[in-house]
Amino acid sequence: MRSLRLSRHRLVTGALLVLASSRMFAQGATITGHVTGEGGVPLPGATVSIAGMGVGSITRNDGLYTFTVPANRVTGQVVTLNARRVGYTPQNAQVTLAAGTITHDFAMTATALQLEQVIVTGAGTSQVRERVGSTINTVDSTTLKRATQPQNILSSLSATTPNVRVNTQSGEPGASAFVMIRGATSVTGTNQPLIVVDNQPIDNTTMSTNGGDGSTVTQNRAADINPNDVESIQILKGSAASAIYGARAANGVILITTKHGTNGPTRYSITSTQTFDNVIKTFPLQQDFGQGSSGKPGGCSAPDCSASSLTWGPELTGGTPTFNHGKEIYDTGLTSDNAISVSGGTQRTTFFLSGGLTDQIGVMRGPNNRYDRTTVRLSASHQLLNTLTFGGNFSYFNTTGEYVQKGSNTSGLLLGALRTPPDFNNLPYLDPTSGLHRSYRFPNPTSASITDSRGYDNPFFVLNNSGNRSELGRFLGNVTANWVPTSWLSLNETFGADNYTDSRLEALPLTSSGDPVGNVTRFQITNLEVDHNLTATLSHEFSSDFNSRLVLGQNLNSRRNRQIFIFGDQLIAPSPLAIQNTVSYTPSEFRSLRHVAGYFTQAELDFYNQLHLTAGVRDDGFSTFGASHRTALYPKVDAAWTFTNLFGGANNGTGWLSNGRLRAAYGETGREPPVYATISALSTTSIFGSGFGDFIGSKQSGQGGVVTGSNLGNSNLRPERNREAEVGTDLGFFGQRSDFSFTYYNKRSSDVILPVPVNAAATGASTALVNGATVSNKGVELALNVRPYTSRNVDFSLGVNYAKNIGRVTSLIQGVQFIPYNNEGFTGAIGSSTVGFAPGVLRGQDFIRCGLGEQAALPGTGGAVVSVDSACGSGFKKGALYIAGSNNRPVVNPDEQVIADPNPHWTSGLNGSLRIGKLQFTTLLDIRRGGQVWDGTRSALDRFGTAAETDIRRDTAGIFGQNVLGNEAVAGPGAGKVAFRTLGDWQNWFTTTGGSASAVQSQFIEDGSFVKWRELSMIYTLDAPWVRSRLGLSSALIRIAGRNLHTWTKYKGLDPETNLGGSEFLTQGIDFFQNPQTRSFVVAVTLNR
Amino acid sequence: MHSRIRLAGLAGAMALVVACNSDNFLTGGELSTDPNRPTEATSGQLFVGIQAAVWAQLESDPARVTNLWAQQLLGTNIQYIDIYNYGVSEDVTNGFHASLYTGGGLVDIRRLEAQATAAHDSIFLGVGQVMEALLVGTGADMFGDLTYTHALTSEQNPPLDPQMAIYDSVQALLSRAIVNLAASGPTNVGPASADLAYGGDPTKWTELAHTLKARFLMHTAEVRPTVYPQVVTEASKGITNPADNFNAVFSGNSNEQNFWYQFDIVQRPGYIAPNPQFVALLKARKDPRLSAYFNSDQSDLNDSLIAPNHTQPLVTANEDLLLWAEAAQRSGDNATALAKLNQARALAGLPAESGLTGRPLLAEILIEEYIADFQSIEAWNLYKRTCTPNLAPVVAGAKIPARFLYDASERNTNTNIPAPTSQPARNANDPANTTSDATGAACLGQ
Repeated sequence: MRSLRLSRHRLVTGALLVLASSRMFAQGATITGHVTGEGGVPLPGATVSIAGMGVGSITRNDGLYTFTVPANRVTGQVVTLNARRVGYTPQNAQVTLAAGTITHDFAMTATALQLEQVIVTGAGTSQVRERVGSTINTVDSTTLKRATQPQNILSSLSATTPNVRVNTQSGEPGASAFVMIRGATSVTGTNQPLIVVDNQPIDNTTMSTNGGDGSTVTQNRAADINPNDVESIQILKGSAASAIYGARAANGVILITTKHGTNGPTRYSITSTQTFDNVIKTFPLQQDFGQGSSGKPGGCSAPDCSASSLTWGPELTGGTPTFNHGKEIYDTGLTSDNAISVSGGTQRTTFFLSGGLTDQIGVMRGPNNRYDRTTVRLSASHQLLNTLTFGGNFSYFNTTGEYVQKGSNTSGLLLGALRTPPDFNNLPYLDPTSGLHRSYRFPNPTSASITDSRGYDNPFFVLNNSGNRSELGRFLGNVTANWVPTSWLSLNETFGADNYTDSRLEALPLTSSGDPVGNVTRFQITNLEVDHNLTATLSHEFSSDFNSRLVLGQNLNSRRNRQIFIFGDQLIAPSPLAIQNTVSYTPSEFRSLRHVAGYFTQAELDFYNQLHLTAGVRDDGFSTFGASHRTALYPKVDAAWTFTNLFGGANNGTGWLSNGRLRAAYGETGREPPVYATISALSTTSIFGSGFGDFIGSKQSGQGGVVTGSNLGNSNLRPERNREAEVGTDLGFFGQRSDFSFTYYNKRSSDVILPVPVNAAATGASTALVNGATVSNKGVELALNVRPYTSRNVDFSLGVNYAKNIGRVTSLIQGVQFIPYNNEGFTGAIGSSTVGFAPGVLRGQDFIRCGLGEQAALPGTGGAVVSVDSACGSGFKKGALYIAGSNNRPVVNPDEQVIADPNPHWTSGLNGSLRIGKLQFTTLLDIRRGGQVWDGTRSALDRFGTAAETDIRRDTAGIFGQNVLGNEAVAGPGAGKVAFRTLGDWQNWFTTTGGSASAVQSQFIEDGSFVKWRELSMIYTLDAPWVRSRLGLSSALIRIAGRNLHTWTKYKGLDPETNLGGSEFLTQGIDFFQNPQTRSFVVAVTLNR
Repeated sequence: MHSRIRLAGLAGAMALVVACNSDNFLTGGELSTDPNRPTEATSGQLFVGIQAAVWAQLESDPARVTNLWAQQLLGTNIQYIDIYNYGVSEDVTNGFHASLYTGGGLVDIRRLEAQATAAHDSIFLGVGQVMEALLVGTGADMFGDLTYTHALTSEQNPPLDPQMAIYDSVQALLSRAIVNLAASGPTNVGPASADLAYGGDPTKWTELAHTLKARFLMHTAEVRPTVYPQVVTEASKGITNPADNFNAVFSGNSNEQNFWYQFDIVQRPGYIAPNPQFVALLKARKDPRLSAYFNSDQSDLNDSLIAPNHTQPLVTANEDLLLWAEAAQRSGDNATALAKLNQARALAGLPAESGLTGRPLLAEILIEEYIADFQSIEAWNLYKRTCTPNLAPVVAGAKIPARFLYDASERNTNTNIPAPTSQPARNANDPANTTSDATGAACLGQ
């Protein structure tokens, strides 16, 4: 089970530091030795300590530990030396403490379920895994390196954990990662989990400058974190696990623990990684037919002429130069990632200092496609008194990027590139005479055309637009205090801040088709989140068989957000792309402040070292709740029973079953309402006009105007509430050879917030947010790990995980069957939440189909509504397309319906690891079954005639169900009859009902199932004596890896994983001219000292 | 040990203090008030927003769509082809039913009127009442029955007032406005510079009130033929000088651009074109407005009409004079009718007519009204009430749409609004004409 991999946790260290005391004297006892695992392999990171004395150390990479007991405490007494390491059975040894050097080696045996591992359980609490009855998955740092995008810590979670689904927006530098844990629970917002770093919540917003449909890729803000600094990630999936985060935990919580220093000699580590990227696949384009319409050429040569937008021209004669416009815009990208860390410390003081430098140049040609991140971090702790330790973590991130416009945007890269006819050379992209932007629709620009649209931009013009940038500085830091006044009480305080300013520029130069007069957008986001978290932990041992612990906690949180957006219209001079160089500006600003005051308590009882009960409750007060519901309670209870302990101590199961544990949990979590949704107010930014895009503002001719806002505040707004029950089991077989775990959960979300229309005549408003919808998610999670062979020189392990989630919007509000997400998708394929389906399904129209009991007006019925099924005749397949009419075509069904569910049926991850001596191989497969994607790119390119599949125009006998929509069964009077004979027939079809102009986008819904070979890596560890003696290093690692080596999918477009809006959209499965994913070759060298 | 206890006590006390103050921690300042949106506004600020909203109501989609139906324009792309071919659905309403009430609409006019009343500013109150009458009267023209007396009461399913009662309310409101606009005294300052049409001049607002009385009386004349003398009276006090036209004024800056420019040039080029029927009419009459309305080859609107800062007339002297002429003619006063017609023709650059009387005079007045009302909902209102010109439906056998459907969002939230299929085809003020008023020929489109 991947999730239960090794993790050394800082709390162990922390506890040691807390307990360690006394001054150093010259003649103490030095205790040293080696800790080894299976087959004598050195075990780094094991803790060796003397119970009751609070002295100890952690083993180095070579398994060596050493520590000293001061002379005043060395009295020749017999003490218990204890060795612990996550994933191994703890061992004790009795030694006699005397001055001088005492050597003791430990040979530890692995446990299957790592139940002794101390895991972070959130809000400053931690617990031994065995005692946790809810589902918490752990991902350790070595797995994180296997990411699609190593720069984005959330992308690296792909396929690691069941029911943690990760979609990376594209292979572009700075692309966002969408994470969904156990399905969406809300019908608004993007349902992203809460991210907590070292006990401190951080911001993970994704906000593009000009909307997810167009604009550029945008990071989710957790991407600022340097993955090299991360020690491990715990994922709180269920409500029982995350209830401690109350009304911020509805979509789960990802707890990131960073690396910390340990006492001992100072260690140095330098890692340099070079990654070479190229695109996995470019869109298949035809190279046979030229620009034009109805088989006639459509180019033009006069100055400032407009040429045909279509590629339905003549067949190109042999020797005509053609260009693959999907390929010519890409080359090889290079990411250089360099990280350095220095760590060490003494008994009382430890530190970890690191720096990272990531410089990513993307796969698109041109200079404006990069993402750079610089990070520095210091983590340190000092034991001030024997009972009091202070610590702190301070990070600074600087990220800058240059991006290329994408998506539904006539100045986006692929929209113009892929629509260009194969016989048009996009180079040079500037006219040699006028020096102005030329495109296939505007091939001969003169200087008079400096503010004229090019129809669609030349992709090389798009690549050379240097006006899309971001610059971010971020500080993330906290101070911690741990006070253990007595043996039964410990107090922990974390006080931290996350503060960033993200400064964006997004501009269109003159002649851009998106705005030929040019424009400049400046967008600045400043965010500050301050968090105080205080816990008191009281423990009491009633008897050796009955232990208890009580945690009391307080959490105060403040989130302050500031956004300034300035749109400058119409460039004055061609450059600079700066606000003062525009004719008119429209500024706007958004500010918000939210506070949380939460109080929580949790009681834990352990019976007979096998039955563990936890009950807790959080009382959450939010400033965003309506005044009548200022606080909300989130209870939880869980139980875990290690039934194999009935037979004796840990790991003492009988025969084949070495460990067995049953668990059950129930918990509640919430989601807060949007900020200021409880307030009715006036607006200075209202617009008046029609849905055709013509509108004016409330400010006119220099006079400020104010009107009533369209949204009616709801002072009774409550948080959404999840109620989730789960049961599961963890089993270890044949010692450490195999383990298995299973979880079933059932989550019901109620009071889900949705916008509803209100009667304007009665209220003067159009909408109000109310608590009304209900959503259910249930599913199973399975994980199986086997380690069939382990010896000193060879290790072999295989792991598989499987997850299924069934999400359903069970109700919205009375009379409402769906709510559309008008910003997510397009007319014909628009995101929605629809009753009976998971949140985020696509709605649109389909063709009329047989066997569904429908009534419709059909061709030849003179407008009369008749039974479709009787018109279909007999012997049809249910769902067959009804083919009829004079040209034997399918018939458009006017009713809008759900046409695609992008949520997969199930997901799975498969990992393997093989070590032969110093050489280690690992591999990872990411499997997704089901999940539909609207291939809007293909829909558009069929219309424009550039898609490879439009080569079918040569065919003189096009028949539905055969060579057209060949995956469909057909019925009706036209079934099997020829529908297309000439190029004109084909053009007519693809430019109307068969392409992007069609209301029927269901024909471009494809199965997004895939198997992705995410990673194959080979690591060789050099730690022979000569490495130390000659190079002065303790070890050197060489890693060679391939990422995204292959994708097996039936998807016809670029990639079923990409998504237009990234993590800005709840609706995944929208493919519309966004960039492809990349495949990478990685070489990394790590030097440790 | 003592220091530890003290320290523990201190920490505990701090936690307690914060705990007891958690209400303070969750309320106040930016936590309880939205820093992005105002909660109060001056009457002048409300009035600027109201003007923008009313301009949209009169000049955006309603004007374009009714120009399609009145066959002054041709719908040439996608939805506009469908609308031109009488594809009337709730989508065609495009939110212009709800916007009668929402921000900038009735809700803010009422807020303005209340603030003006509280400030003892009768002039501003009168101005607000004129805007209310213009908006609500236009709503009655488009939709017929509307929630009005029960508007903004927050009651569930507010009942609708009959259309004719709304027209009566509009007349009463305009009468009160005229009285209020005549007020004097130190508190009666009016909108001043916030008034983008008239700069706060109460005389001009009074003229506008009279012209609107004439307009909305005339809209009831088909079922209440006794109103013609009143129309004459009101029109004679109305806007007779084009300098006093009630206009939408656009600076041309971002968010302050003429709707026709935005639609025809920026957002939906190719969706509208001059209607050949209308072009032929102007050509046949050698009307100089052919070149004023359209470009030289009649393929698009004249560039001056689709400039971002083009001032859009909403209520004009031409309209007033022609209402006067029509009402006079229908009251039997052919001399006044001809005089007013010629006054209007002069404004349009046309020579005076002479010797016209009876139906030919009426026909001339109505056609002149039809031409003068281009780019306004009034062309369609005129057609509905007079069947002039006698337009042939563009879809054989169909009727020219005579009202808009209520917004789906309003219907779904008010059980008093019937389903689209149960809504009447025509409004109460506008029974189908059997003959064209101008020619006496059988009416083709009603």
